[in-house]
Amino acid sequence: MESEVVKTEMVLAATFPFKKVQIADKYPKGQSRGRQWKHLRLLLQAADATSLPPDRPNYLNIQSPPSIYPPKRYCDITGFEAPYVDPRTKLRYADPEVFKQIRMLPDEYVQRYLALRNAAVVLR
Amino acid sequence: MTECECNPSFSRARMSELLFETYGVPSIAFGIDDVFSYKYNQKLGNCGEDGLAISCEHGTCHVVPFLKGEPVLGACCRTNVGGFHITDFLRQLLSLKYPYHSASITWEKAEELKKEHCYVALDYMSELQIFKNNKEEAEEKTRYWQLPWVPPPVEEPPSEEELARKAALKEKAGQRLRDMAAAKRSQKIAELEKQLSYLEELMEQLDGAEEEEATAILGRSGYLSQQEIKSAILKATQSLRKAKGESNGNEEKADASGVDKYPLVSVPDETLTPEQLKEKKKQILLKTTTEGRMRAKQRRAEEEALREKQEEERRLENPELYLEELRARYSELSDRVDQRKRQKLNGGKTNGNHNSSGGVGRGERLNAAQKERMRLLTSAAFDRGKGEDTFGTRDEDWLVYKKMSKDNNDDDDGNDDDESELARIASKIQDMDPTFVNKAEAVQQTPEPPKVRTLTAEDYRISIGIERFRCPEILFQPGMIGIDQAGIDEMVSISLRRLMEDEAVKERLCQSILVTGGCSLIPGMIPRLESGIRQFRPYLSTLKLVRAADPLIDAWRGAAAFAASSKFGRHTFSLADYREHGENLFHRYNIVYSL
Repeated sequence: MESEVVKTEMVLAATFPFKKVQIADKYPKGQSRGRQWKHLRLLLQAADATSLPPDRPNYLNIQSPPSIYPPKRYCDITGFEAPYVDPRTKLRYADPEVFKQIRMLPDEYVQRYLALRNAAVVLR
Repeated sequence: MTECECNPSFSRARMSELLFETYGVPSIAFGIDDVFSYKYNQKLGNCGEDGLAISCEHGTCHVVPFLKGEPVLGACCRTNVGGFHITDFLRQLLSLKYPYHSASITWEKAEELKKEHCYVALDYMSELQIFKNNKEEAEEKTRYWQLPWVPPPVEEPPSEEELARKAALKEKAGQRLRDMAAAKRSQKIAELEKQLSYLEELMEQLDGAEEEEATAILGRSGYLSQQEIKSAILKATQSLRKAKGESNGNEEKADASGVDKYPLVSVPDETLTPEQLKEKKKQILLKTTTEGRMRAKQRRAEEEALREKQEEERRLENPELYLEELRARYSELSDRVDQRKRQKLNGGKTNGNHNSSGGVGRGERLNAAQKERMRLLTSAAFDRGKGEDTFGTRDEDWLVYKKMSKDNNDDDDGNDDDESELARIASKIQDMDPTFVNKAEAVQQTPEPPKVRTLTAEDYRISIGIERFRCPEILFQPGMIGIDQAGIDEMVSISLRRLMEDEAVKERLCQSILVTGGCSLIPGMIPRLESGIRQFRPYLSTLKLVRAADPLIDAWRGAAAFAASSKFGRHTFSLADYREHGENLFHRYNIVYSL
């Protein structure tokens, strides 16, 4: 891929004829772009402020609610159904062999496994 | 421009700003990609005017109901799980499963694996049971990814020629060494002979010379007395003999010299000066001790011989029993020696290089000597604080230092005895029983079995079994990755509930369900969705699911068809409109999709 792309100067081109404002002109090198991220809630509030009906669908309220099914618990290591939880690491496990494995795991891996289901301990 | 459902006005405003100012587009229309896809498939006849679009995209999943060809945004539903999450889940699982290969499990590779091997299980729980209980079927369903692996170079046994060459080289080197040693020895011999002849000459001169002349000669030669020259001659002859390799007859010489060594012993006391008397006493003491040692040695040798003889007799009497006895004694002794060694090694301080258990940690056991030492040190440390320091008033106090010193190998002698006995017995057993393996030798022969297993292709193989259907399952159970939302099958029922229409309408919608988006290409998706949705529908209600003609680009095709239609101009806005209204333009902006 590379040779052709480089030949046509797609990657290296500094100016594109179809753009009115070139990126190099808008953001000169070495200057910070000064971009500020706004939170979604703020954006929606700004939109709602203009006297729109409150029940109008917006990005947040079309989200689906939590499932009506009781959440099933799966083993964090093997993926099988997990009837047990290790009280120390909080990892779910399916059988004693997995438990042995869990106890051998370094803490970093435990946290990564927990992070997979968004249950890792986050220090702030 | 395609957008997601209920795109915030802010995003639309920024996008149109960019398009107008940077790219100079004349006019823009925003439309929802899922709706474009549905409309395109409606044109193809895959779905009707009223229906549902289930779309599994990169970052989210949407369900949009359609009534009379128009999407009902108030009833649509979104779950924040998509293809991105599947790929990420797969990548993380694999890199956690194979920490050594995590570098090769890249995002791109995970994406590729997902597209190639992932499938949706019709019934997740039963599929899990298969993998748990039915090994053969699981093996059949498991895929393997062989990482590039180069087998380590196998060392070929050297050829005959090479061996011969090596042997010749070795022989040559050995010959050279031998030559060098011989040359050195002859040189040494010549030197010694020269020295000897010089010394003998000196002696002759001294013998022939007068008193004063003798002292002059002595002064020149650097020797203090005639006696010293004599001893030098003796030494020279001895080393000469040694150099010439005449080791035999050493004993006799020692015996012979024994008499010479103590010349004063046989001389009567009266003829000697006081200093000589003292010398004589010393010599007598030395002589008696050496004689005593000799005698003890002889006695020991006799005892040994006697025991040997007895054992020999017993062996001849009953070889079996004798062997048994020997074996028992061997094992007992070897156990004892081993135990001693272990005790000595325990704690690892005395000889750390033999220690396999590493350094002394806090929990590590100390042996008795080390414990005593620690006790002494601590008591010394605490005594310091008791005010009056009486240390050193008694002589015994200083013994503490001796006790504290590390090297107390008191038990070494007994140990040595045991070891020699062990070696003796082992050699005897070996004489009688060639199959017997001496433990000590066995240990020496195989110093350490190699602990590091050579890596094989197996170690570079990544197996993808349960992950094949575990990863796509997060679309149906977002809770698996910690997202507390309904899965895509449940979303349909939520969407229908939000629609607030009567049952007949819902029934009609369910007969025209379109599944679109990249994730709908995962095998098994449609049957699973059907069975999932059926659980929420009344008994015996009809259900029809269709996959979009091309889930990946139908949205673009729909949008293209929309842009090509004559009504397109009514839904666009230009830069002038945007300048006039600003962001407010987008609050009520909704296009009509029906062409």
